[in-house]
This record gives sequence, structure tokens and C-alpha cells, in this order.
Amino acid sequence: MLEGVIRAGPSEWEIPVGFVPGMRVPGRFFLSDALAALLEPGAVQQLANVATLPGIIRCSLGMPDIHWGYGFPIGGVAAFSLDEGIISPGGVGFDINCGVRLFTTPLVQADIKKPREFIESLYKAVPTGVGAKSSLKVSPAALTAMMEKGARWAVEAGYGVERDLARCEENGCMKQADIHAVSAKARARGIPQGGTLGSGNHFLEIQVVSEIFDESAAKAFGLAEGQICCMIHCGSRGLGHQVCTDHLKTLETATKKYHITLPDRQLACAPLQSPEGKAYFGAMAASANYAWANRQLIMHAARLQFERMFGIGYESMPLVYDVTHNVAKIEEHIVDGHRVTVCVHRKGATRSFGPGSHDLPGDLTAIGQPVIIPGSMGTSSFVLKGTATAMERTFGSTCHGSGRVMSRSQAKKRMSGKEVADHLLMQGIIVRAPNEAAIADEAPEVYKPSSEVVQVVHDAGLSALVARMSPLGVIKG
Amino acid sequence: MSYEELPHTADVKIRACAPTSDALFGEAASALMQVMYGGDRRGGTTRSIDLDAPDQESLLCDFLSEVLYMSEVDGLVFQQADVRIEGMHLHAVLDGEPFDPERHNQGTEVKGISYSGLSIRKDAKGYMLDILFDV
Repeated sequence: MLEGVIRAGPSEWEIPVGFVPGMRVPGRFFLSDALAALLEPGAVQQLANVATLPGIIRCSLGMPDIHWGYGFPIGGVAAFSLDEGIISPGGVGFDINCGVRLFTTPLVQADIKKPREFIESLYKAVPTGVGAKSSLKVSPAALTAMMEKGARWAVEAGYGVERDLARCEENGCMKQADIHAVSAKARARGIPQGGTLGSGNHFLEIQVVSEIFDESAAKAFGLAEGQICCMIHCGSRGLGHQVCTDHLKTLETATKKYHITLPDRQLACAPLQSPEGKAYFGAMAASANYAWANRQLIMHAARLQFERMFGIGYESMPLVYDVTHNVAKIEEHIVDGHRVTVCVHRKGATRSFGPGSHDLPGDLTAIGQPVIIPGSMGTSSFVLKGTATAMERTFGSTCHGSGRVMSRSQAKKRMSGKEVADHLLMQGIIVRAPNEAAIADEAPEVYKPSSEVVQVVHDAGLSALVARMSPLGVIKG
Repeated sequence: MSYEELPHTADVKIRACAPTSDALFGEAASALMQVMYGGDRRGGTTRSIDLDAPDQESLLCDFLSEVLYMSEVDGLVFQQADVRIEGMHLHAVLDGEPFDPERHNQGTEVKGISYSGLSIRKDAKGYMLDILFDV
């Protein structure tokens, strides 16, 4: 399975230049032997394909949840020179700024006396699944503000508190957003979907902090054992999907215009400094902002349910952090001893900025960035902290989840949604979804064990374990 | 139904077969609707699509992206698509019905139509395509 790949360390592998024609740099990925046995050849090929792109710096990187996607592999990270490098929607994905946030509550598990009733109330409060429309009436002007201001739009409109913004990557807003690069079609898809969760692997989950690995970091992040918290996973909905579709077309033409040879059409790209590259970047940033506003809206809806059901104050449910795992960003990194500005693509990978990074809120500068890694429906999720090693080795990046090992069609054949839900209920986990197929698709067994994946990033130093959260109830789209 | 789902860990990979390229595109649209909404889809409301593209693969991607867009924005679930291709121009008439959350909840959202692994082939038996939907 790993033919042609060289072991470079206990959990590190190198794809040498020449693995596919035209590679400019090697590929490098992080996997334990057990996880390496599950790796698809398609993912290795995709990681090597990324290494052929113009202006790529140092290497094409794969995080331990690497798996076969389209364009970049999922779990792929690559940095590009601003002068000679490119930007590609294949390095971001259709779901721009798909991401995760976690907020805590002052509750403990014993406080949730009627868990099914509570999950049901959350299910009713957050529009979920295919065709779900928002109860919010987002006006065209509000949509523009969502794309320009991101999470700040939501907070100013009353869907959150000022402190939430400091706890979002980029403060919940990429300043480079260019709403003129967002088509009327993308806008039409964005208007009815503000505040909706979506489907597939998107979820809202009630969790309990079940283990603390790092007391001082946990304290700084506001996490304590036994505490109830809530995790939200979703992205930029149809607006971001349409932006990707629209710009892939433009960039296909640009690829030919700028004489770029590609091994996969999904890697269509343009120089960062070209009009086509700038237009995609601006539209992508606008979509990322929409996604931050969207997660803020969903968090607000969930907080209101906690308030109503348990009589706790809104301000007693602080946001731990919000991370994006599908994005391209302009960041400063040390390359060959020099501080340089580069464009980092993270496709199914999480930023993992270490202590001292400028983008962190003041009270977290000494600790490092909170990194939030969701598990699958029945397995643990984790909070980690960013590290100096990640800054040195992976342009400040780590894994984003567990990574699938089984296709959806296989999953459905193997077990029914009802069987999966019953099995989870025996473990004390309530699942609510619009249909059974959505549950079978996302059964815990179809993913790599999240604990193994985070152990690899912890051992490789790409982020360090802080806390484990166990699921109690989940709503799925 | 002459399409099937091929194993793919993260997304949905579809293989469709048909005697003509027109019918092949129609099968691909049906597969997309099946993935999103399940099998209980009826007709009665029509929409048409006209578009041009530089090559057959782009024509297919653009067509399916348009079906996806129209379905989402107009709230329509299509039962079938009647496709006519002349040169690199496509004309399609889609037959469907309004989205019903009670009957159309057996699928999953498709985020986009990918070029990765996309192929359209012709042999003695007819036409075949492989395509990946990001879900």
C-alpha cells in the first residue's frame, strides 16, 4: 500500500520527488503504522499531485487523518510563495470554512434530567438536513454584511457577545473578503440557509468533559472535568459550494492562460497575484465569513435552548474557540530561517498556532491556540493546543478529525441506521436525525478511531492533548 | 436505473451507463437526485437548462452543477432529465416536483460536482461515466 513511500520517522513518511512526474518538492505525511495500513493509494497520489503545483514551499503535507478526497487529499496542507505560488479551490474544497466550535456551560451531566427532551428541543431549534431552510429572514443587505463582517455581523445583530469574536480564528472575519467576486447564484443559495446545519458529517453535539490531560491549558481554555459543553460542526452551506463551483470554472481557463500543467483538473488554479487568483481568494474569504456568521447563529440558537431548559445565563456559556478546517490564508511563517508571508491551504486540516502567535487572544498567547478535533458520532472529541513544533514543521497545522475508512454505501450495507442508533443508545448516546440513512452513513465504525489520530499528532508534536470530551447526544443533518 | 455507487471512502462516486451520450447525462442527473433525495421522486413541474462548454467533461460538470443549483434554489426534486447534446451545446428538460420534507428525506446534501476521477468513455456497448459528488 505504501509502495514507493519512504519511512522518515516513527510516525512520519516521505513521498520522494519523482513519485509522480513534475513534483517540485517531496510529500510528507504523519501516520502511525496502524493508521498507515488503512491509507488508500489514492490519497498518496493526491498528496504527490499537490507537490507539482507552482510555488509550493518545502513539501506537500498530510496530517494523520489523511484520506482520499478530490484535488488535495483530505488532511492536506501546502504553503505557496506569494510571488510565484498559486491558489486553488482544490486545496480548500467545496465547503469553504467548514469548521468546528465548542462552547462550555456551568452544567454537569446530572443536571440534564431529561436528555431526550433536550436533544429534541435542539433539533427543533436548529434547521437540519437536506432542504432545510432558515427561519431567519436574511435580507440581501444582511447577507452582504455576513460576507463582509463574518461573526461580527451576528454579534452586532444580537446573536452573541463581543467576547465570542476573540475566540474565533481570525476573530471570525477574513478582511480580504470581496463580495463582488461572489455570484448572484451563490447569494441566492446563501439567503435561505443562514443558521442551518446542513447534512453529511455536520452535527451539533452535547458532550461531557471526560478527561483532562493538561490542567493548566484546560484551565486557560475554561474546561473542567465533568462539565457539559456543546460542539458545532458546519460550514458555508450552498453559498460556499457555489463559490467553489463558479471559480473552478474560471480557474480552469486561467490554468491554461498561465501555462500551468496539472495532474488533476480539480487542482485548477491561478497565480495568487493574477486577477483570477485574487477573485477566488476574495470570494473564498467572503464565504469563510458567511460560515463564521452561520456557526455563530447556530451557537446562539443552542445557547437559548440551554437558557430555557436549565435557567442558566447566556454569558455563562463562553465559546472556547472556533477553528476552520477548509481554507486558504495569508500567514507569516519561518522558511529557511527567514520570516516570510505565504498562502497556506488547509483542506481538512486545522490551524495549530503555538505559544506567542500574534493571532491569539492575549490570555492564550502563553498557552497556544485551542485546537478542536471532533470525533465521530460515538467516539470522543478532543481539545488540543497549538505548538512550536507545528509552526516549524507543518506551517502551524494539525489534523481535523478522524478520517473515514468506509464508504457510505458500505456503511449502509453493513448496518441500518436504527441498529446504529440503538447501539449508541446502549452507550448512553442519543442520536436525532431526519432519516435513518444519515445515521448509518456516519456510524462510529466508518471512521478511524479519533483517539489514535490525536495520539499521532500529540506524539509528533503537531498539537498537544488538553482534554477529551465524550458524546451524550447528537443532532445530525 | 443504470447507475451504481462505487466504493469511495469520503464522497459518493457514481458509475452510470447508457446507450447514448444524451441518455448518459440524463442518468447522471437521476443519480444526483437519488443521492440527494432518495428514490421517491415524481414529475409534474418542468424546468429547462441550456448551456455550452469547451469539452464533454465540463459540459457534464456544468450541467449537474446547474441541476444542483436549480433544485436547491427553486426547491424542486427532479424525477428525470431529458437531455439533447449537439456539438458542445446542451439542452435539457427536467421533470420534477416541489421538495417535500416527508418524502425527500432519504438522501444527503451534495456540496459540489468534482472533476477528480471524472471520465466519460464509449465502447461497443455504449457510453459510461464515473463521477464524484462531494457530500
